[in-house]
Amino acid sequence: MNFKDLQKLLKANEGVTNISTLRENVIKFDLDKSISKEFFKKLKEEYYFEHCSLITAIDNQPDFELVYHLSCLSGELSVGNTKMAAMVEVHIHLTRDSPSIDSVSDLWFGANWHEREAFDLMGIYFIGHPDLRRVLLPEGFAGHPLRKDYVYEIHEEEW
Amino acid sequence: MTLFNLCKAMAELTADMFIVPMLRFQRNIFPPFSYPAGDLADWFASEGGIVTLAWIYAVNIAFAVGMTNLILVIHLERKIAARIQDRRGPMLSLRAFRELGEDLAGEAPTWRFKGNYSGIGIVQNMADGLKAITKELIIPNKADKFLFSMGPVIFISSSVFLLVLFPLSDRFAASAAPGGLMVIMAAFSIAPIGVLTSGWASNNKYSMIGGMRSAAQLMSYEIPLLLSMAGVFLLAGSYNPIDIVEQQREATWLFGLPMWNFIPQFIGFIVFMICILAEVERVPFDLPEAEAELVEGWTTEYSGIRFMFFLMAEYIRGFAGAAVATILFLGGWAGPWPIPPEIWFLLKVYLIIIFWIFIRWSVPRIRTDQILELGWKKLLPLSLINILLVIFMVEIFPYFDEIINLPEVF
Amino acid sequence: MAEMWISMGPQHPMTHGLWTLKVKVDGETIVDADPELGYLHRSVEKMGERRKYFMNTTLTDRLCYASSTTWTHSYVVAVEELMEVEVPTRAQYIRTVMLELQRLASHLMWAGAYMPDLGHITGALYFWRDRELFLNLLELPSGSRLLYNYIRIGGVKRDLPDGFQEKTERILTLFEQRLDEYADLFENSKIFRMRTEDVGKFTGSQAMNLGITGPNLRGCGVKHDLRRDDTYEIYEEIDWDICTREAGPGYSDCFSRYMVRIDEMRESVKIIRECFKKMPKGPTMSSRVPVRASGEAFRRTEDSRGEALMYLVGDGSDRPYRWKIKSPMFTTISACPYYLKGYKLADIPAIMGSIDICIGETDK
Repeated sequence: MNFKDLQKLLKANEGVTNISTLRENVIKFDLDKSISKEFFKKLKEEYYFEHCSLITAIDNQPDFELVYHLSCLSGELSVGNTKMAAMVEVHIHLTRDSPSIDSVSDLWFGANWHEREAFDLMGIYFIGHPDLRRVLLPEGFAGHPLRKDYVYEIHEEEW
Repeated sequence: MTLFNLCKAMAELTADMFIVPMLRFQRNIFPPFSYPAGDLADWFASEGGIVTLAWIYAVNIAFAVGMTNLILVIHLERKIAARIQDRRGPMLSLRAFRELGEDLAGEAPTWRFKGNYSGIGIVQNMADGLKAITKELIIPNKADKFLFSMGPVIFISSSVFLLVLFPLSDRFAASAAPGGLMVIMAAFSIAPIGVLTSGWASNNKYSMIGGMRSAAQLMSYEIPLLLSMAGVFLLAGSYNPIDIVEQQREATWLFGLPMWNFIPQFIGFIVFMICILAEVERVPFDLPEAEAELVEGWTTEYSGIRFMFFLMAEYIRGFAGAAVATILFLGGWAGPWPIPPEIWFLLKVYLIIIFWIFIRWSVPRIRTDQILELGWKKLLPLSLINILLVIFMVEIFPYFDEIINLPEVF
Repeated sequence: MAEMWISMGPQHPMTHGLWTLKVKVDGETIVDADPELGYLHRSVEKMGERRKYFMNTTLTDRLCYASSTTWTHSYVVAVEELMEVEVPTRAQYIRTVMLELQRLASHLMWAGAYMPDLGHITGALYFWRDRELFLNLLELPSGSRLLYNYIRIGGVKRDLPDGFQEKTERILTLFEQRLDEYADLFENSKIFRMRTEDVGKFTGSQAMNLGITGPNLRGCGVKHDLRRDDTYEIYEEIDWDICTREAGPGYSDCFSRYMVRIDEMRESVKIIRECFKKMPKGPTMSSRVPVRASGEAFRRTEDSRGEALMYLVGDGSDRPYRWKIKSPMFTTISACPYYLKGYKLADIPAIMGSIDICIGETDK
């Protein structure tokens, strides 16, 4: 399937706004939180994005934003007549009070630990994740350090 | 002039000059002990006492010779391993101390050896031994204290026992046991007890797994080992190493070239070499103590002199294994005249040991289940085939009288 | 013997970095695995938000200490995309040469750490002896052997010294001879094959789902290399091939992953030679490098271990607002139950060694 056709197909979906091409092989768009799970399933099964590269959590000060980078490694999506690998960048906005979204770790196993890291450092809760606990910080750690309003308290640690 | 005669002369001399007068003096001085002292003085003056004293001296001399060889084996291993790996190995020696002293005193060293502290490196072993002795002996909290200490004791005592059992030549024999080689193999087999004890008593999952793997490997390689030796015993007709070497001395082929035992029984020779490598746990068979997965395996919790016991015991068993291989297959101490037979024996043992060192530093390890598969499925049938071959050879050798000369055994 | 959890804990001679691997064994067979990270977490992302863009190149060097130029390069390329900076051609060629030299050094470090896992200590010394040659080469332009800080935003720090090309050529010829010797010593050794074949298998489609990229994926026969697929620098002007190997139709084992990296080393030698032939003269640093940046950008590059992705968000000031680092080993380690189940406890060093772990980049 050609990458340009993909752009047209994406436009046809509701909930997808602000479509733009960053580079020849990257499409970027915003997605509604409510249809995220079905849309990702569609991306994986119909549009051949079988690799989850990265899940980023950003703290724009009023609310949170999740950025998903998905790529196609098998070559099913061809970009013009080059051999480039196609990639898609999905932005989802979440509220500040209780940031939560459906987990995609049953679609892509690679997303499992990325979601755990987003929970660990930013505090975003993923519904349906099999094992959501801290990955980089120790278990008893309080707070989510990568938030902009995180204050580092100097306290004595018991070793 | 055998070792025993020499020791008997020494025993008579020392008994005469020191022991008997001392005990007689005891008898007169200290009444509560005068009765046993008097008995001992009489016993030492008699034939039985002299012979016992002679045997004690002989065993000590053999032990000393074995330990000196051990230091040489360890040193050889380190230097050859280093050269294979494109480096030099231990260089500390007495000359290095002198150079260090001169350097610290601010003068130029009197003998420059490419500008760095260097020498043959034999003092390094002493330094390592000193370091091991001065380390703290740690026993883990929940370990079984008695068994923890006993494990290395069993291991090293059975290994040191091996050193005095094999003769270095006809006249240098510290043991006259008629079942010589069988006693050696029995002493080899005590080791799994020490291994299992240390592994279990450490209270550590790694050590237990390592100990069990090691015991499994050692026990499963005993059988092809003994079966491959059975061929030699059949040809020689006895277990005594002296008889075995006599038989090999007379076995010749072609134009009177000595054939020893590794040509008529090359299958047995190859099987024996592989099995003895597994028995002394050298690479490629040293997974039980591999650093990669199990830290040090069953020796993880040991420190100081106990750890040194394990290391030394391994090298002693390696040396003893090579000595057994020499006696059985390479003709023991047989060799032409100018070089004394003891030196021939040691030369052949070192040849085998150098071969093993080359293998150790060129080859990766084999996994435990692959080791066991090799032992049971491939070496055991081969050793059985070897026995069949030997019986076949012994029956038909009269028809090949001109070219092969095997002494009559049956 | 019942099932028990064994912890190959953070202090272990052969886990290649500081992490814990808990395995559940039933006798000798592995039933489950549970990795734990975080011992080396240095909060690089949060520190990067406090520092200016050009100061972060020292942080990225220390992300993966075995392969540091590739990580600095990944960050620098993302920043150049954000700030829209044009890099002169000569700087691009120099960067490619340094990247390929770094890839060689990283693969040699991996091989030198892999051999003692299998019990072959001599292999460690041989490979690290060759790595010394490349570290000496890398020291000539940048001044340090391990953490270079040589690739800067807009170009490289300074030009290559005189005589660099001849020295490199000499060392590359010597290295190719040595690779042929090693082929005899390792690949043709029966025991090496017994330890690495049929061990640690996973298929290509499984790998894509699990998030495994790089030489591990190419060992399954999937032709995916970011130097071609999402190209950067001047890789499209150089004639090179993607190296893939398979242990069977569509799956990999430890031996094929080993062979892929050896093949990649030979490819890198080819690439360096071609770069030297085609290198033009010119400036080595862009004339206009802004200080402030705004917007979003990301770039992904082919690190020695897989796909490294840097995502930057700038808010108009001279410091990044959000900097996200993706390390290939993060997802690969998370997938370890998949390629460890069913094998023996003694296979763990062989498998984890062939995956080529570097904890510095994983823990950030």
